[in-house]
Amino acid sequence: MLEGLILALSPSYMFWLTVGVMIGMVVGTLPGLTATMGTALLVPFTFALDPGAGVAMLGGLYVCAMFSDAIPACLVNTPGTPGAMATAFDGHPMTLQGRGQEAIVASCFSSALGTLFGATCYLLLAWPMIKIALLFGPAEFFWLGVFALTIIGSLAGDSILKGLAGGAIGLLISSVGISHGNEIARFTFGIPELRGGVSLVAALIGVFAVPQVLLMITELRKKDSIAEYKPKRGETLKTIAKVLAHPVHVVRSAVIGTFIGILPGAGSPIAALVSYNEAVRWSKDKSQFGKGDLRGVTASEIANNAAAPAAMIPLVTLGVPGSSPAAVIAGALMLRGLNPGPELFQTNETLIYSFGWSLMLAGIVTFILGSLFAPFLVRIISIPLRLLAPLIMLLAVIGSYAIRNNIFDVYFMLGLGVFVFLIKRLGFHPGPIGLGLILGPIIEPSLVQAMYISDATSIGRVFFTGTLNIILITVSVLSIFFVVWSRWKDQAQERASASVEGQSAAADETE
Amino acid sequence: MKKKHKYLSGVILGAFAVASLVIPAGSASAQYPDKPITFIVPYSPGGGSDQQARRLQPGLEKALGVQVRIVYKTGGGGAVGFGELARSNPDGYTISNVVVPNIVISAKGKDVGYKPGDFSYIGMTARAVGSLMVPKNSKYKTLAQFVAAAKANPGKLTVAGVGNTGAANFAELADILGIKTTYVPVSGGVGKMMPMLQGNHVDAGMTSSSHAVKHRATVDTLVIAGPETSGALPGVPNEPKWTYVTTWGVMAPPGTPADRVAILNAALYKATADPKVKEVVEKNGLQQMRQTPAEAKAYVGVSIKKFSK
Repeated sequence: MLEGLILALSPSYMFWLTVGVMIGMVVGTLPGLTATMGTALLVPFTFALDPGAGVAMLGGLYVCAMFSDAIPACLVNTPGTPGAMATAFDGHPMTLQGRGQEAIVASCFSSALGTLFGATCYLLLAWPMIKIALLFGPAEFFWLGVFALTIIGSLAGDSILKGLAGGAIGLLISSVGISHGNEIARFTFGIPELRGGVSLVAALIGVFAVPQVLLMITELRKKDSIAEYKPKRGETLKTIAKVLAHPVHVVRSAVIGTFIGILPGAGSPIAALVSYNEAVRWSKDKSQFGKGDLRGVTASEIANNAAAPAAMIPLVTLGVPGSSPAAVIAGALMLRGLNPGPELFQTNETLIYSFGWSLMLAGIVTFILGSLFAPFLVRIISIPLRLLAPLIMLLAVIGSYAIRNNIFDVYFMLGLGVFVFLIKRLGFHPGPIGLGLILGPIIEPSLVQAMYISDATSIGRVFFTGTLNIILITVSVLSIFFVVWSRWKDQAQERASASVEGQSAAADETE
Repeated sequence: MKKKHKYLSGVILGAFAVASLVIPAGSASAQYPDKPITFIVPYSPGGGSDQQARRLQPGLEKALGVQVRIVYKTGGGGAVGFGELARSNPDGYTISNVVVPNIVISAKGKDVGYKPGDFSYIGMTARAVGSLMVPKNSKYKTLAQFVAAAKANPGKLTVAGVGNTGAANFAELADILGIKTTYVPVSGGVGKMMPMLQGNHVDAGMTSSSHAVKHRATVDTLVIAGPETSGALPGVPNEPKWTYVTTWGVMAPPGTPADRVAILNAALYKATADPKVKEVVEKNGLQQMRQTPAEAKAYVGVSIKKFSK
């Protein structure tokens, strides 16, 4: 392990790592350029390098992209990759309040914390953790997806019904294309491009970026730019102190992120969303979530970054990548004749450990570069809206095309964007739609697979036995009760506060 | 403010001017190829097709003297990428990965906008026979034990495979062995199937033996398809009547001129002759192949015939 650290700290490894981090900064910032695309584009350049330096560069890109996707999420309410969806919920309101720099620095520091935690688990706990991950079969994944759906309770805004409807819209859109199991074309309306399903990235750009651009256009007469920006001195240290003021919250987010990151197929977006939801659930004062609570940003960013090194754990222990960028990194190793998995652990242990250290160092380099650039990045919000709106639109079009090189994805993104813009005016929140889009591809295939397995035994045995199934079902049910109960309590409180305003204000203060 | 606008439009105009200089006018030069070639990969980055494209890319570029650009057009079990190639200009500047029998099964009984028999095949480069695998700690240590258990409890054993292609390939083996099991189709590739097997959520898994080689530390192989045993999987019996083979190759749109196909085929020969490529192919549990365009077309023809039933 020490040998790996020495290697990871060698000048050439550090140089290529930094190159990867810098490219990751760009890739993550531009919506539509995901970490998967970025790493895939870089693979040919790794051939000229030592395999360890090559994966350090790819890992650096992956880790940094999981931070930099927060930049557009906070500043223009458009997640740079699906992993930053939850970051936007509080990051953008912060920007609107003139706290853009704080949001970016907090994201950056949280990302570094998450990466350090995830990479530490990779280095020390890979084997015990993977044993737990392997307990997840199709039925368990299905229940995990159902549990994640209860997040709608935190995202729905004022109306739980509109939240549920939004989630259903997202799930429905994700079911377009060739079905799982029997492979029948669904909702394709005879359009060949739809057979392959909807691109998640293009759809998320439609859900988040396009309504944002349209909103900017409607606000052109009212304001010139998103928000005022005045660089503040000493903001970095102050923000770090604010993040660390909630140690339990930091550890909870990191543990959730790492654990979900290990599950092959779940990935950063779900890690961030579950972490965000738990942050809301366990906080005493929930009133500011969705309105610019720093903890919302840190919950999401710690988790999506912890998930990045964690996604490498199944790769090195089982030979199965935990996420799409991890699959690309696996491919880069296989092209060198190195077979990631338990064998590599035996034959080339140094490489496994140097990679873990590189991931950890990537978190630190990301933090240094990110906090240096933050004051400049935040200037994006002072760009006049009449320039910024077309610029975001341009990036949205390029991004949705680039993901699969399919022009149909662009039309779809635009259509969905206009649709979401309109229903937003009716009080729908885009969050549940995005959640449905992300969870559909997890819930449906695992449901179908578990049903096929049930054919051999019984539905009751596959879905309702086993410790994990019981735990997941229990927390899902509790979660639903919790949502109903807290909404009922809020309403009761509102009624009470309407009658005795002064008293309830005093009660709030003591809380 | 006005001034700023003028400045901006100047920059944009300038950018266009530079761009038009950089992009050469489309000249009909006699020498093929004289511009970059697009190589479509119809499956996600990191998968078997991506691996093949990346493996061949440096050799093809060297042999052809132009850039080879890899683009991913994924979805529909490869149908999106294959369809894209079918619609592309048949001038030899767009080529694609092909996986047999996936291309045949993707078009079976549906209108997907292409017919597998119509493409201009350049050559197959690698193949792997099928394999039936069980987790390392499985109670079934041999094929005989597995078959006996399946016969004792018809339909009670679960076997995972990738999608419809897997279903067709496993049906053949089940027929040969005379067993009835429950098939569990996994979508999204072998990467999604392996953890189900490694975590004992299914009794067995079936896919290319290249994956059996790759994952030999966590899974045991009970049997492989084809007429011979494999050096990479010592002690594993083969089933000669099981014809499941996955083959990776390169193809061009239907109607690509034969002289250009020949140039591409020669480049493919050179790319696969590289000892480094050979070594990686073997390490990844694949068998290398070298074919003429005619051989490749006939090879696909056999598969079309097999799956037309």
